[in-house]
Amino acid sequence: MGIKGLSKVVGDNAPAGSKENDIKNYFGRKVAIDASMSIYQFLIAVRQQDGMQLTNEAGETTSHLMGVFYRTIRMVENGIKPVYVFDGKPPTLKSDELKKRGERRAEAEVSAAAAQEEGDNENFDKFSRRTVKVTKEHNEECRRLLKLMGIPYVEAPSEAEAQCAALARAGKVYAAGSEDMDTLTFGAPVLLRHLTFSEARKMPIAEMNLEKTLEGLGMDMDQFIDMCILLGCDYCDSIKGIGPGRAVSLIKEHGSLEKVVASLDTKKYPIPENWPYKEARELFRNPDVLDPETVELKWDTPDEEGLVEFMVTEKNFNEDRVRKAVQKLAKHLTTATQGRLDSFFKVMPKDPLTATKRKAEDDGDKKGKKKTPAKGGNKGAGRPRK
Amino acid sequence: MLEARMTQAATLKKLLDAIKELVTDANFDCNDAGINLQAMDNSHVALVAFLLRAQGFEHYRCDRNHSLGISLASLTKILKCAGNDDVVTLKSEEDGDLLSLVFESPNQDRVSEYDLKLMDIDSEHLGIPETEYDAVVKLSSSEFQRICRDLSVLSESVIIDCSKDGIKFSASGDIGSGSVKLKQGASVDDNADTSTTIELKQAVTLTFSLKYLSNFTKATPLSDTVTLSMSGEVPLLVEYKVSDVGYIRYYLAPKIGDDNA
Repeated sequence: MGIKGLSKVVGDNAPAGSKENDIKNYFGRKVAIDASMSIYQFLIAVRQQDGMQLTNEAGETTSHLMGVFYRTIRMVENGIKPVYVFDGKPPTLKSDELKKRGERRAEAEVSAAAAQEEGDNENFDKFSRRTVKVTKEHNEECRRLLKLMGIPYVEAPSEAEAQCAALARAGKVYAAGSEDMDTLTFGAPVLLRHLTFSEARKMPIAEMNLEKTLEGLGMDMDQFIDMCILLGCDYCDSIKGIGPGRAVSLIKEHGSLEKVVASLDTKKYPIPENWPYKEARELFRNPDVLDPETVELKWDTPDEEGLVEFMVTEKNFNEDRVRKAVQKLAKHLTTATQGRLDSFFKVMPKDPLTATKRKAEDDGDKKGKKKTPAKGGNKGAGRPRK
Repeated sequence: MLEARMTQAATLKKLLDAIKELVTDANFDCNDAGINLQAMDNSHVALVAFLLRAQGFEHYRCDRNHSLGISLASLTKILKCAGNDDVVTLKSEEDGDLLSLVFESPNQDRVSEYDLKLMDIDSEHLGIPETEYDAVVKLSSSEFQRICRDLSVLSESVIIDCSKDGIKFSASGDIGSGSVKLKQGASVDDNADTSTTIELKQAVTLTFSLKYLSNFTKATPLSDTVTLSMSGEVPLLVEYKVSDVGYIRYYLAPKIGDDNA
């Protein structure tokens, strides 16, 4: 899933690239959400006290519906307009990775069954979470739910992250919402993480800014993609012995993956036999996506009766709660939304004088606190000069 | 270096009270023309900008442009140590990391000195285009404060309707609705200076958040009048003059009806 250790690399090398924000600060923003990823999360995280998934009377899982329903409403309540993007056919390069995931899941299933036999609840819980798989039916039900809620969704031809990134790049939405760091590698200008987390976790939204990240790393987009491939992506293996630190310095030193490969001591760092890094790079640069211009996003009023029929009658949700939630949703979709100043006034380029001075200072203190993790957030924006 | 001497500490205190609710840290940009500040609130809905002109100070010297990153809460704390009639002198070296404040009592028998640590603040600076507004309304600042306070009881937002004969503020919410209309030329306290004047090119109707407007009215002690400048679908400009030293301006993005776009 995503790029190995990328968030740490960004945190260490380009602290300006990520900041934390309250969900409230995103009102009026449209966000493209990686649906498959979120559904997967909900299936894992939304559980009963005994660790079992939520089900209706017939024993069908409803955790994903619970998640999509309430977390979407939470976003809408905070003035965010979500659009969900569903995965299409995975790229052929991903088949190895998918096979591995399948194997891991099978192993977990065996372990889960064993743990259940032994009555080891803790381990059963642990392993059963690893057996989770998003099925076609799950996706289908979520689509139906979203349609009833009046929330638009998009079918990506291939990877959902790539489609989210394309929508954000074209200005159709403000940001891509995913936990997958490779959304950045696909060129999303802004990536929001933790957007679909439960309110109870009080997790602030982590906003990753591609431009600032590249600036902080001192790389261009192509070098950034190369670095991500070195770190390890879903599409090809990484080189043994090259971790985050070395990946960054190698790309910085040599400028491109070809030159890195040419200069590597292959005895020390054996390059995997079948290493289609060029194809992977191509996939990141020009992923298979729908032309964002042809995508029309429309938020409709929710169909209350339809939702009650689906959620209450079919899925055994509590009628009162569903009705209340739908009314909340309808209210927030129709009231006037607060505009944002940055859509009227443009951000000015920084005064070069003060900017250079700042940079010099930044370099100075980076040495001192290289080890400390970057603290994002608005509070981190101002730090004592000494 | 910067050296600025101001005869009334009260002006600085009021100015700070007027912005500290909206922003927590801000850069004070100093150049030979005066001291500038521009900062947006966290959610990027409102912006505050003020200018203190060099001529407004008793003594002002700024050799090179530099910006002072200041925690407004800290500066407020230090200004609390000054009497309202004290003479304040601000001093800062170009590459220093301190702002020195000297407070002298009017009869010069008490002199206190404070140093405030500066911060590095990474802020975005917005370019604000010069705008010809469709409606420019000048009214009593205390009246505006009262309207905002009164209508906050009813709703989170207020609709401002400006036509030739007057300006109408209305709000409606769960418990009911209400409105206040001020007629052109009328004065609420028989003071000609605070009478309502309207310059109108075109009637406008806009919706704004009362929470922010109430926040702006923290600047009321700075001036008897306030100017509201409006055009359709652009941010509202609320301006208070700061005696003869400069001004403080607030910009507020309007609430936009859902067009599903």
